[in-house]
Amino acid sequence: MELFKNLYQYRELLKTNVQKEIRGKYKGSFLGILWSFLNPLLMVLVYAIVFPYIMRMQQEHYLVYLITGVIPWNFFNLAIVTGANCIWINGGIIKKVYFPREILPISVVAAGLINFLISCIIILLFVVFGGIGITLHVLWLPIIALVQSIFTLGILFALSAIDVYARDIEYLVQFFLQLLFYATPILYTTSMFPEQVRWILYLNPMTHIIDAYRSIFYYGTMPNLASLLYIAGLSILILVVGYLIFKKLEKGFAEEV
Amino acid sequence: MKKNVNDIAIQVKNVEKSFKIYYDKAHTLKETMLFWKRNQNELFHALKGVSMDIKKGETVALIGVNGSGKSTLLKLMTKIYYPTKGQIITHGKVTSLLELGAGFHQDFTGRENIYFNAAIFGLTKQEIDKRLDTIIEFSELGDFIDNPVRTYSSGMYMRLAFSIAINVDADILLIDEILAVGDQHFQEKCFAKLQELKESDKTIVIVTHNLDQVKSLCTRGIWIDEGKIAFDGDPSKAVEEYLKKRG
Repeated sequence: MELFKNLYQYRELLKTNVQKEIRGKYKGSFLGILWSFLNPLLMVLVYAIVFPYIMRMQQEHYLVYLITGVIPWNFFNLAIVTGANCIWINGGIIKKVYFPREILPISVVAAGLINFLISCIIILLFVVFGGIGITLHVLWLPIIALVQSIFTLGILFALSAIDVYARDIEYLVQFFLQLLFYATPILYTTSMFPEQVRWILYLNPMTHIIDAYRSIFYYGTMPNLASLLYIAGLSILILVVGYLIFKKLEKGFAEEV
Repeated sequence: MKKNVNDIAIQVKNVEKSFKIYYDKAHTLKETMLFWKRNQNELFHALKGVSMDIKKGETVALIGVNGSGKSTLLKLMTKIYYPTKGQIITHGKVTSLLELGAGFHQDFTGRENIYFNAAIFGLTKQEIDKRLDTIIEFSELGDFIDNPVRTYSSGMYMRLAFSIAINVDADILLIDEILAVGDQHFQEKCFAKLQELKESDKTIVIVTHNLDQVKSLCTRGIWIDEGKIAFDGDPSKAVEEYLKKRG
C-alpha cells in the first residue's frame, strides 16, 4: 500500500521519467522516435527473407505471422535490455536525493508499454492489408499487454536491483534473451514439433504470451483462457517475488552504485 | 498526515551505521569469485548508537569535525541510506538539500529544471505551477531562467537549486553545509527565509560549520563526535563545548 501511496505522490516524477525514456533513447538521430517502430520492422524484414527462402518455412501469411510475434517480443526484449541497468546508471541521483526507487524500473516498462501500444497500429495495418482481416477479439489486447507488463516488471525489479551488486547481469541477460527468443515460437510455429515434446515450449512463459497475441491478431480467435489465466497468475507471482528482492537490495543502492 | 502525540518530527532510535571499505572493489561475478581475498573489507563505523527525538518546529544544528558522522545521519534521515542497526522514523514530508542541483539536466533551461527538480521532491505539476513564480523570484535569475543551466555560473546554479528546495513546502527540511555559498546578499536572504520557515513551525535540521549561524538560528545544538552524540541541548552551549575540545 505504501508503494501505491508513494507512486501517487511522485506521479509527476514518474511522468517526466517515462517521457525521458521514450524521447531520450533516440536523441541525436535524424528519425528520432520513428526508430522505435522502424527497428522491429527491419528485424521482421530480415526474418521474412531468411526463413521462407532459405529455411523453407511454409506458414501461410508468414510476414503477418512474424509481425504478430516480433513486435510483442520486442517490447519485452527492449524493456529488459534497457532496464537491467536502470538503477546503476542513475547512481548519481540515487546518492543525492530520496525518491521511491521503484519509479526507475516502472518508468522503463511504462515507456515500453506505450511504445508497444503505438506499434500495435503497425500490427493492425499488416493484419488488415495482409489479407487476414480483423476480428473483435483484438479487444483482448489491453489485458494481454497488461499481463506482459506485469511479467516484465517483475523480472526487471529483480534484475535492476541485482545489477547494482553484480554488473555481470547485463551481459548474462543478453545471452538469456537470445536463448529465450529462439525458445519462443516467434519465427516458427509450435505445430512443427511432435505432440510429445511440444509441452517443453510451454514451460517458457513468453510462449503463452506470444500465443495469446497470435490468437487475437493472426488467428482471429479468443486467446486460450486457461493459458492466459496461468500466465497472469505466474506474472503476479513473479512481480511479488521481484519486488521483494528489489526492496531487500534497495537498502544498499546508495552505497553500492 | 499523522498527528503524533508528542509532536515528534524525527525519531532516531539507537542508530548505528557502518560502511564497508573496499580496498579494491570487485564489481563483477568473476572478480568476486576469483579474487575473493581482494574483496575483504573493513567496516567503518560512521555512527555508533545515536538516539534523539526532534520535535516539530525545532531548528536543530548538527556540528562536529569532518568525518564525525553528521552528514551520514542526515542521509539516514532522508532515507538515502538505511541504518545498519536501529530505526529512524519521520513524520511528515521530508525535503533534503544535500547537494545542490542534484538532478539538474545541463541542457535544459532553468525553468524546465524547476519542474524536473521539484518532481524529484515529489511535487505534482499543479503544485509546481503554483510555486513557479515564487521560485523564480527568489532565485533572482530574471531572464536567465530561460537559458540552459550549463550556461549558469556556480552562484546562479546554487541560487536556483536553493530556491526550489526551500519552496517545496516540506514539513522537515534537511540541509547540509550549503549556506556558505553564494554572495553576501543571497546568503542573508537564505538566512531570512530559514528564519521565516522556523517561525512557521517547520522542522529544520542543519549540518553546518558556521558556528555564529548555529547560535542565532538554531533552537538546539547537537555535537556529534566520532559517531556519538557528545552534547545535546542549548546551541550556544553546544558550540562552546565543541570549541573547548576541538577548537
